[in-house]
Amino acid sequence: MKQATPTLTTDWQNESSSTVRSKKLSWQATTTRYMWYIALALIAFIVLCALVPQWIAPYSPVDMVADRILQAPNAINWLGTDYFGRDIFSLVVYGARDSLLIGFSSVVIGILVGVLLGTVAGYIGGILDTIVMRFIDILMTIPGVLLALAIAAALGPGLLNIIIAISVSAIPGYARVMRGQMVSLGSRGYVEASRSLGASGLRIVWKHILPNAVSPILVMGTLGLGTAILTGAGLSFLGLGVIHEIPDWGALLSQGRGYLTVAWWICTFPGLAITVFVLAINIIGDDLRDRLDPQSSYL
Amino acid sequence: MAYTKKQYLPASLGWTASILLIALSLVLSGCGGVAAEKSSAQGNATANGGNLTYALATSPDTLDPHRSGLAVSVRVMRTLYDSLVLQTADGSIKPWLAESWTTSKDGKSYTFKLRKDVKFHDGTPFNAEAVKFNFDRVIDPATKAANALALIRPYESSKVINEYTVQVNLSTPSEAFLGNISQAMLGIVSPTAAKKEGEQFGKHPVGSGPYQYVDWKDNTFIQVNQNPDYKWAPETVKNTGTPYINGITFSIIPEEATRIGSVQSKQVLAAETVPPQNILALKNSPDLQLLQANTLGLPYTLFINERHAPWDDVKARQALQSAIDVNAIVKTLYLGTYERAWSSLTPGILGYDESLENKIQPDLARANLLLDELGWVKGQDGIRVKDGKRLTLKYVDGSPNREKRNDIAAMIQQQLKPVGIDVQVNITKDIATVVYQNGEYDLYGNSQVNSDPNALSAFYHTADPSARPTLPGLSDPQVDQWLEQGAIEKDKDKRAETYRKVQQRISELSVIIPVYIFPYTIAASKTVQGITFDYLGYPIFNDVRIGG
Amino acid sequence: MVQTIITRTISSLLVIVGSLTLVFAIFYLLPGDPVLSMIDPTYATPEMIENLRVQLGLDQPFYIQFGHYLADMLRGDFGVSMVNSDPVLPKILANFPSTLILTLSSTCIAVIIGVVLGILSAVHRNGWIDIVARTVGLFGISMPTFWSGILLILIFSIQLGWFPAMGSEGISTLVLPAITLGIVGAGFVIRMVRNSMLEVLSEPFITTLRAKGISRHVIMYKHALRNALIPVVTVVGMQIGEMLAGTVVIETVFSRQGIGRILADAIMARDIPVVQGVVFFTAILYVVINLLVDISYTYIDPRIRRSSTSR
Repeated sequence: MKQATPTLTTDWQNESSSTVRSKKLSWQATTTRYMWYIALALIAFIVLCALVPQWIAPYSPVDMVADRILQAPNAINWLGTDYFGRDIFSLVVYGARDSLLIGFSSVVIGILVGVLLGTVAGYIGGILDTIVMRFIDILMTIPGVLLALAIAAALGPGLLNIIIAISVSAIPGYARVMRGQMVSLGSRGYVEASRSLGASGLRIVWKHILPNAVSPILVMGTLGLGTAILTGAGLSFLGLGVIHEIPDWGALLSQGRGYLTVAWWICTFPGLAITVFVLAINIIGDDLRDRLDPQSSYL
Repeated sequence: MAYTKKQYLPASLGWTASILLIALSLVLSGCGGVAAEKSSAQGNATANGGNLTYALATSPDTLDPHRSGLAVSVRVMRTLYDSLVLQTADGSIKPWLAESWTTSKDGKSYTFKLRKDVKFHDGTPFNAEAVKFNFDRVIDPATKAANALALIRPYESSKVINEYTVQVNLSTPSEAFLGNISQAMLGIVSPTAAKKEGEQFGKHPVGSGPYQYVDWKDNTFIQVNQNPDYKWAPETVKNTGTPYINGITFSIIPEEATRIGSVQSKQVLAAETVPPQNILALKNSPDLQLLQANTLGLPYTLFINERHAPWDDVKARQALQSAIDVNAIVKTLYLGTYERAWSSLTPGILGYDESLENKIQPDLARANLLLDELGWVKGQDGIRVKDGKRLTLKYVDGSPNREKRNDIAAMIQQQLKPVGIDVQVNITKDIATVVYQNGEYDLYGNSQVNSDPNALSAFYHTADPSARPTLPGLSDPQVDQWLEQGAIEKDKDKRAETYRKVQQRISELSVIIPVYIFPYTIAASKTVQGITFDYLGYPIFNDVRIGG
Repeated sequence: MVQTIITRTISSLLVIVGSLTLVFAIFYLLPGDPVLSMIDPTYATPEMIENLRVQLGLDQPFYIQFGHYLADMLRGDFGVSMVNSDPVLPKILANFPSTLILTLSSTCIAVIIGVVLGILSAVHRNGWIDIVARTVGLFGISMPTFWSGILLILIFSIQLGWFPAMGSEGISTLVLPAITLGIVGAGFVIRMVRNSMLEVLSEPFITTLRAKGISRHVIMYKHALRNALIPVVTVVGMQIGEMLAGTVVIETVFSRQGIGRILADAIMARDIPVVQGVVFFTAILYVVINLLVDISYTYIDPRIRRSSTSR
């Protein structure tokens, strides 16, 4: 052991210098790779559910069949029926639309506002920077979930209100990252070089700083998508969720939870839908970070 | 930014982290130890005496009876407070803290002769002065009385005749008055304590009931212990003295699964408000028993807002009644555990009209015909249109989903689609603003626990123009006249007949869709005996024993 | 260094005033009439409603209401509950210890599970242990907590009867809620410890140590781990805020006493002073925790002092 060669200790390293190692590694790497492919396939399927549920769902999600209530999974209703006699599979498929809508739009709004604030603060600097960043500090004093909850409680239930609540709670993260990028990249050689060549400020931001900030923002956004969907489900649990004719996953899970002991399938499948989607998003997000932005592991 | 990444610290910081962890776990175990000691003090002894643990579904708002507005508070308050009189299952009035009473000829004043052996938990003697204090307290605006204020109407003043005789004066005669003062929300509180505690009386309640208040931890539990001096129970309970058990812990467990789980895992001995799906499952349990009492008053009723077109037309309302299949709703959602309501009153109340039962049957053809007659024509998407306006129904309901009321909305939304009505469901926490302030509803459901048919007045009598409109917005001279008559009619049979006429008229006007009668359901361990119910369906714990 | 601490404390105080303003602004926007939720609308006359509005000062213009609110809050007067006139701050303080215990024990669980699995995961990078550990961690952060909480109650209270389903007394009632909340935190800590370990392992000084012939175990557990755990402290500080927020759901599911439960109930009852009070209280905690973390860093590592003040 005293004469330990580098090859024996590389199993924590990315590169592999011995053929024996690399064979073993390739098996393991394949497993990780498979997980990645499975995650991507699941996300693709769920997005498809949200876009064209009518292609996938066997029945209308609002049909209440009085003589088929609380049926366990069977040949007709693959995932069983709920207490109205609605088909759970169809409900979960259609429910993807609102759930994903909440997730995606709050992430997009959060990114747009956050990036704008961060860019303005970092670019203009001075007193404006201080004001914006103090405001962000203040937003950050209230934990994300709590902030979303307070805003949702103030605005009342409703799809738009939920999206606003969740996106506001996500703004500080993006603003901080963006400003950080502005400050660190702003002083880098090539930006200074282009400035000295007479490039305008906005052009520098657009051409040089934004492309560099894409990676960390993308990683944060991906992981934030999972958080947004979970926060939405939590709001449903507290009675602040969206109540639509076709319920989203959080609402389904929340409504079905009282039936867990008598009809486990009612909330298990919407719960699994949330978990699987968020899990897949996290796998992709982790992988994205490892590739694009290894520096941001503490975010 | 990210300053921790590129700088590596001396070895000691790793240890700092570990020490922090150890410190955390020490704090944790220390706190846990203290808490554990506390809990052993109030465990479930099963021997003689013992403590009943009883899980409530929501937290009481206050234990000040005059300020409370919640049924769950009444369940706790009934153990703490006694009333002047008692109403029995047949609706008759019996003595309690008042031994006897007389009514003046004009029906506007009652003279109560009080028991002389009663004292409050704080030692204050109960007397005529205390009764006067209580009733005056309810109508004092500073008290901010809620339901109690409605119940005590038309109370005007009290006069102390002698230490144990009090005269209560009303501004108009009211046949409902004695029944109303039998309710826990007009229970008698200790004047000394009420004056001393002021605003905080609800957290330090003192009454004269079989149990006395010990402790209330926010959202966690309320502890009451037996009143050793108690000997003035009304005749409806077997044990007129001190309760057999040492005390009751009312645990507050809002989450259904947790509440039912706690009684199944024997962490509590009884749990209230068992959801229908669990009622079926628990029926076959070897360790548990189900106790049930239908609540009295107004059943859960959907009120059609007559002030909004097109629902101001009786035909449109009849179309709704024909299109909504209440039987299917009650059967699907409550799985046969709730009874269907047919009238504006629940069975068991004076004057309940049985002839209304089974009168309305779902009839889609009739619903379609009625809407056709009104000129509503089905459009492209199946929704009816008239003069370019779509036929919509704004259905408002409160959140959280109490007794699956939101689910009723979801079912009605589907049931009205085939006849071409677009139901817009609005589930809101802010019922006060949406319904009562702005009146932005076509359909809204509510119920009320009450012992007297006079309860109909608040919902169906033409509203005072200066006051808030009633839920259906009804204004019918015939209904008004009968309701006014019913309030003062002394002959019981005539009074019952008057209220039957009111119910029939309300049915003719088609302003409501009665849905279900709420059965208050308790799941209790079979070792618990003697939980009974009062006239209104509230649990009574005087006779409870825990054992073998 | 003293100057740094003073600057930090002052800026923290400013942030607290700022979040006070934010909390007020959120609820001033609240649609609907708070007075109506305090009074039974079936019986209340318009006159009663108006009296109550005047009594609560809700008829005043925005800036006067805000001035009163700010002055009261800074004096420690959080107002009274709209539901039952309970003073808000004593209510929060009475319920806080229970939430603190839950938060700390969940944090312990999160850190213990997270650090152990995180290290194993990094040491056996891409091995099956890594895959299992990361999957466990991902499940933790991917399940809605109210669902996993109810599942734990079903399994461990109703089926097995090992732990109580509800309550706040004794250490046994703490087990299930702390695990439910701890698993979520563990997910984040695993991810962080793993990445931090991998990063440290790729640093030049590790290569140097390796070249010196120091054994792999020593490098791993003595040099790498020590450095990799540093950011854990920061993240734990940040996680405590999220954990406090998580108690809103968990305390409701497990019927535990605590400020999260108070908040959930206040939201249901639209009891604005209580909601405001709890949110603001949590904000203060967050600021204080982060101030302490910052100051302790400044104390521990002189190299950070300069860069952190300029942040």
